[in-house]
Amino acid sequence: MSAVASPASQAASGARARTFNRIVIYGLLGLFAIFYLMPLFVMLVTSFKTMDEIQNGNMLSLPHAPTFAPWIKAWSEVCSGLTCVGMKGYFWNSIKMVVPAVLISTLLGALNGYVLTKWRFRGHTLVFAMMLFACFIPFQSVLLPMATILGSLGRFGVTLQNATGFSFGLGNSTVNLVFVHVVYGLGFTTLFFRNYYEAFPTELVKAAQVDGASFFQIFRRIMLPNSLPIIVVTVIYQFTNIWNDFLFASAYAGSGDVMPMTVALNNVVNTSTGVVEYNVNMAAAMIAALPTLIVYVVAGRYFVRGLMAGAVKG
Amino acid sequence: MAFLEIDGLKKRFGNVEILKGIDVELEKGGFLVLVGPSGCGKSTLLNTIAGLEQITEGEIRVDGRAINDLHPSKRDIAMVFQSYALYPNMTVAGNIAFGMEMRGVPAAERQAAIDKVAKILQIGHLLKRKPSQLSGGQRQRVAMGRALVRDPKLFLFDEPLSNLDAKLRVDMRIEIKRLHATTGTTIVYVTHDQIEAMTLATKIAVMRDGEVQQFGTPAEIYNNPTNIFVADFMGSPAMNLIPAKIGANGSGLSVVLDREARQPIVLPMPGAPSGLAAFKDKPVIFGVRPEALTDPEGAERNASSIATADCHIEVVEPAGSDTFAVTNLGGKGVVARLRADANIQPGTSTPLAFNLSKAVFFDPATEKRIL
Repeated sequence: MSAVASPASQAASGARARTFNRIVIYGLLGLFAIFYLMPLFVMLVTSFKTMDEIQNGNMLSLPHAPTFAPWIKAWSEVCSGLTCVGMKGYFWNSIKMVVPAVLISTLLGALNGYVLTKWRFRGHTLVFAMMLFACFIPFQSVLLPMATILGSLGRFGVTLQNATGFSFGLGNSTVNLVFVHVVYGLGFTTLFFRNYYEAFPTELVKAAQVDGASFFQIFRRIMLPNSLPIIVVTVIYQFTNIWNDFLFASAYAGSGDVMPMTVALNNVVNTSTGVVEYNVNMAAAMIAALPTLIVYVVAGRYFVRGLMAGAVKG
Repeated sequence: MAFLEIDGLKKRFGNVEILKGIDVELEKGGFLVLVGPSGCGKSTLLNTIAGLEQITEGEIRVDGRAINDLHPSKRDIAMVFQSYALYPNMTVAGNIAFGMEMRGVPAAERQAAIDKVAKILQIGHLLKRKPSQLSGGQRQRVAMGRALVRDPKLFLFDEPLSNLDAKLRVDMRIEIKRLHATTGTTIVYVTHDQIEAMTLATKIAVMRDGEVQQFGTPAEIYNNPTNIFVADFMGSPAMNLIPAKIGANGSGLSVVLDREARQPIVLPMPGAPSGLAAFKDKPVIFGVRPEALTDPEGAERNASSIATADCHIEVVEPAGSDTFAVTNLGGKGVVARLRADANIQPGTSTPLAFNLSKAVFFDPATEKRIL
């Protein structure tokens, strides 16, 4: 190229450089996306294949004769350990655990955030700092103490059962897991809501006070209806974490018909009687992953928006 | 007995005293403006009246009843906030009715009250909208509607116009004044804008550093400021505060104003305040408002004491309705307010008339008025 290029040739070379940059950038992005999505693709295609096709065919090829049989088997027939009733019971176990745990921890987090920002008391920063600390505790370190606590709660439940004829759910594995997840989720949900409410105009709370609304009326009528983005963020975050949790689930509900999905899936894959049914395993894994996928697809666009709101104003 | 009485109100945050003993009262139907620079405690004072902040000492009474220990909702007050504080999740009608809803007013009654207020404020067509769909002026109206609908004993306004643009602010100011005149409500209003204070108030409390500097009618505050701060804060352009000396003029007194490289101006003062004699040959601050310093033809006809002196004009600012001329007296730029068509040129010497019956004097040491 000559030292003094004409404007036209400069523009042309600029455009060429831009095109080249685009190709590199999108090429790399595409490569990463393929790399990231490859396992999901393999899982999906494998779950629709017959065992013959898996053993004789290519892992990446599409199923020749797609079949729902592995999905049906995974849902209602597959063996987890010695019981062969499929994943459906464990799926509902997980639902029964995750829904109350997410709702309770989100609601309590919102309440904490509301108090820590709009009803400040002496030492509120210390309380918040300690709740934040809960986010950094390695869960392995609480396994044993929590087991002791749950054991005590269980014995107390038995006492209650004897005294009143009703245990109030104490000692029930699902209730135990809900309790554990609420306690360990509170740090995160409080952090999310506190940062969101920090930027929430305090004048609204004052106006509602002058209007005669009580503490909980303000929370229910003013705060919660204006918290949709952060509620969605918290729900997605908590749902994903609790649904995918394996550590607490295996420690406190690791056997029998109370297992959550994650533990059951592990047992299904580890059950080795005869041939390993990859297609059924993959279908079971897909079933285990579906709820979090659905939550992301339904509420994902709020997720980014809510995270941004917290990031910019928090 | 006044309708709103504030007695010896103090407010402390830890060791910091935010309000240092406020005594203010307001008659029924009055319009009290709390004015002062930011950080003077005016908003805190309003919040204590509203009950959003607790007081440390003193008493607040409305209509003879002490309210300082009551919850905000029990004080029979309504408040308009600076940011309007409209609930974003409710419609305009929902916002206006929220207070009544919290008090358990039946739906039919609520609707009637909403309609009445919407008519007064001409917001009937907005009732179904959300606050985010309203302009600034409309939000302001809705915020006032939310206060009006309650028909409380006392209205509190916290800098309600400061978020509006200049023109809308003037419109809304007139609107508030009209509203006050037609409904006869009792209002406490916080602002840092001294023009809002002058135009709206029946009583003004000028505040600084948690203390009321002066409390009185707008005319009292404007014409008889008790100290330099009040004189300087109220009025636009601000009062000229000129370092001067008191000299003898035969049996009477005179004001001596130094000038750079020129003979000092000596203004005879036949009707000087009695306290001024003690300041003979001593420095004082001579306060004269721009409109009391004008060309001799424009001077007030029936003023009792006018002195004329030649002044060197440095800058001329034609402002349309008036012309402002800046001269230098006592080492400070001094603004004179002349008729719009006054024939005046910068860089020339022009006679200016000092209306000494409107002049005030301050002790430079204490900054207090010399009476």
